[in-house]
Amino acid sequence: MKEITLTINGKQVKGKDGNTVLDVCQANGIDLPTLCHHKGISDVGACRLCVVEIERERRPVPACTYPARDGLVIQTHNEKLEKYRRLILELLFTERNHLCAQCVSSGDCELQSLAYKYQMDNARYPYSWPALPVDPVNDYLVIDHNRCILCGRCIRTCDEIVGVHTLDFGYRGWKDMVIADLNQPLGKSSCISCGACFQVCPTGAIFSKSSAYKGRPEECQKISSVCQICGVGCKIEALVKDNRLIRIDSPDLASNRGILCHKGRFTTLDRKHERINTALVRNSHGKLEPSPLSEAINTAAKKLTELKARYGNNSIAGIASSQASNESLKAFKEFITVTIGSKLIDTIDGDIYRTIIQGINTYHDKARLDIETSIEEILKADCILVAGANPLESHPVVGAYIVLAARQNKAKLIVIDPAQNSFAYHTNIWLKPREGKEALALNVLLKATLDKGSKKGSAQKKKIASSLSNTNVRQGSEQVGIEADDLLEAAEMLSKARRNIIIYGDGILQNKSPMLITSLLNLAVIVGNPSTGNPRIISLKPKGNSRGAWDMGLANPSQSIMKNLTLNGVKALYLLLADDYVEASELPILHKGMEFIVVQSSYLSSATSKANIVLPSPIWAEVGGKYSTLDGVIKSTSRLIKSTDDIKADAEIFHEISKHIEKK
Amino acid sequence: MAKVKVATVWLEGCSGCHMSFLDIDEAIIDLAKVVEFTRSPITDIKEFVPVDVGIVEGSVGNTEEEEVLKELRAHCKTLMAWGDCACFGGVCAMRSTFDKEEVLRRGYIETESTDKGKIPCPPGVPALLDQVKPANHVVKVDCYVPGCPPEPKAILYALNELLAGRIPVLPSDMMRFD
Repeated sequence: MKEITLTINGKQVKGKDGNTVLDVCQANGIDLPTLCHHKGISDVGACRLCVVEIERERRPVPACTYPARDGLVIQTHNEKLEKYRRLILELLFTERNHLCAQCVSSGDCELQSLAYKYQMDNARYPYSWPALPVDPVNDYLVIDHNRCILCGRCIRTCDEIVGVHTLDFGYRGWKDMVIADLNQPLGKSSCISCGACFQVCPTGAIFSKSSAYKGRPEECQKISSVCQICGVGCKIEALVKDNRLIRIDSPDLASNRGILCHKGRFTTLDRKHERINTALVRNSHGKLEPSPLSEAINTAAKKLTELKARYGNNSIAGIASSQASNESLKAFKEFITVTIGSKLIDTIDGDIYRTIIQGINTYHDKARLDIETSIEEILKADCILVAGANPLESHPVVGAYIVLAARQNKAKLIVIDPAQNSFAYHTNIWLKPREGKEALALNVLLKATLDKGSKKGSAQKKKIASSLSNTNVRQGSEQVGIEADDLLEAAEMLSKARRNIIIYGDGILQNKSPMLITSLLNLAVIVGNPSTGNPRIISLKPKGNSRGAWDMGLANPSQSIMKNLTLNGVKALYLLLADDYVEASELPILHKGMEFIVVQSSYLSSATSKANIVLPSPIWAEVGGKYSTLDGVIKSTSRLIKSTDDIKADAEIFHEISKHIEKK
Repeated sequence: MAKVKVATVWLEGCSGCHMSFLDIDEAIIDLAKVVEFTRSPITDIKEFVPVDVGIVEGSVGNTEEEEVLKELRAHCKTLMAWGDCACFGGVCAMRSTFDKEEVLRRGYIETESTDKGKIPCPPGVPALLDQVKPANHVVKVDCYVPGCPPEPKAILYALNELLAGRIPVLPSDMMRFD
């Protein structure tokens, strides 16, 4: 990039072509006050605090929108400009309600900090006191329009970084205000509650119910970590005070996986389920009662040793939730397969793993999960096929990426889903096959795409083509209940695109049919760029560490332990739920007449109520650990808060029980 | 040397600023050697006499407060505002977004514990103004110590500046609005 030279406050400074005057000032350590400017979003010059004087300009101009040019002579700080800045602050303070003693964000407010800096100890202008609404409808966020300075940061963040563009300005002039969609209450709008607007709001106009009045950022410790809730693995910065999580922010919204979603940002702060703080053991009256951890571990070890001796190693099965960390899962695997010596180990989402891996193996017998591509590919794609997935709900950051690609990169978005989907606004074509006809629908689409594309191709392509020689697009479209024209148009989009990506999730995986996954892979091969090897496809896995659990071999690739416990003569079950909240209804195996059940969990649930012994598990924020993202990157989380003394890391508990079992 | 005469008034506020002033601890002993408090909630003297420094805590929300503030201004050479209410309107100004009649109705008739309530009206009590104002929207104010309440050290700093013959402006690190 070309270097340019400017004169700022009498000194020669360097900048780059394409910089704004503000960029050059910031790069050269010249401190200009800003309110509407924010890293990662475009500049609009709304607040006018960064006004500077530039030679040959008749008036002061905002530095954030003025392109830097070679030879500009600029004054950033003089009596006149500082007077203007204070005047702007006074106008902002009197326009709406900016009385700090009434505000939840006092102490964490950029407007307030600037007023302090400019020693604004009074406001000369009359207050206008507009009667503006407070919108508390959303589960997590509140918009208090009385605190808004109309800087538009939230709007540009919602549009440019998150991509959903729920927020915008409504009305004109004096009545201007931030609105959601066509002036809907936030809770009824297209808002995905990602909280990015809350993070960028310079005042108390957008605040979070989960963080309000818990503590000021300056009083908090800031800890960098990674969210492990859904497997996207977003970077987080946690604010902690007195061993309590006060707030979770993104360290950099504009960076990769920096957006965060409502789950990562808010649900960790106020968990609704009751924690297990002490071990519970079922007494002689059949009731679970608190017990010291060491005693509970001893009892569990004794009973497991007894069962092992009486019925053999394979009478004990271990099932883990893929929400647990790699460390917990590794210790669990060792405990079940080595200490107990049982072959029966599985994950709760094991059936989904088997569906995916069998589908992948039918496509290519040596292929593994790592043929999947990375989430970032979504932002490079010009055509996205979403099959049976609702990422805005299940993996909101993936959903936001898809919307960003559709809106900003003009990527074509094709949805195949019989069910309702939150991409309604952004979808180019929505193919709705009849329930149960998903497999045929995919094959018909595959055939239509093959027909559109070039006839030349690899052996694999030819193999796929020959397997579909009997499929007829017109007939097939009638059978699956999709207009043939829609199918053909989707096929056209897929075959014309230069960089496709296919994303599938729950809707496909619930069918437990590996064939669907093979079809999707075949489609990815047909439309993929032959030079780049792997097909571009991602499966949205159900739990935060599904990929980790599966990569570590906790789920058997061919046989479901989960389903066949009674067949295998299992007498005892060791269930590691960790901080996953699981209901008994999700675990039919709990009802199958087990002699002995140990559940290791952070939360009380209908599943723990089936146990003979309940052992407490820490939540992820209480231990640092490694987790694999759904596209296979191993990330480390940090310990954010301490657990109570009675709660030990999962691995520690397995170690303790193992010691007892080996002694016997 | 004659003592510097000071008068203070407590308008629509919580007295927190006066409390914060009393919180300057032992510094009050030295201050008392050079300053004489005339009319003030601290001395409980009600009559105004001409003074060097007038100090106002609280915002202006009714006709009486307006009158007292104007009288203070007329009796002092320099007027200093203490606290967010006097500087900006403060917590008292919360009512300003609402209609005055609505505020009175909510306060005197619709309160959950009120039975057959009646809105008190002048001349028995001073009339509410339409909106709550900071002191400088009613009279000329010469200097300000914002804060809710201001830190004792900020109050002391401002008083010492005045005693040294300067009009105080709080440095940024003493500024606070809460």
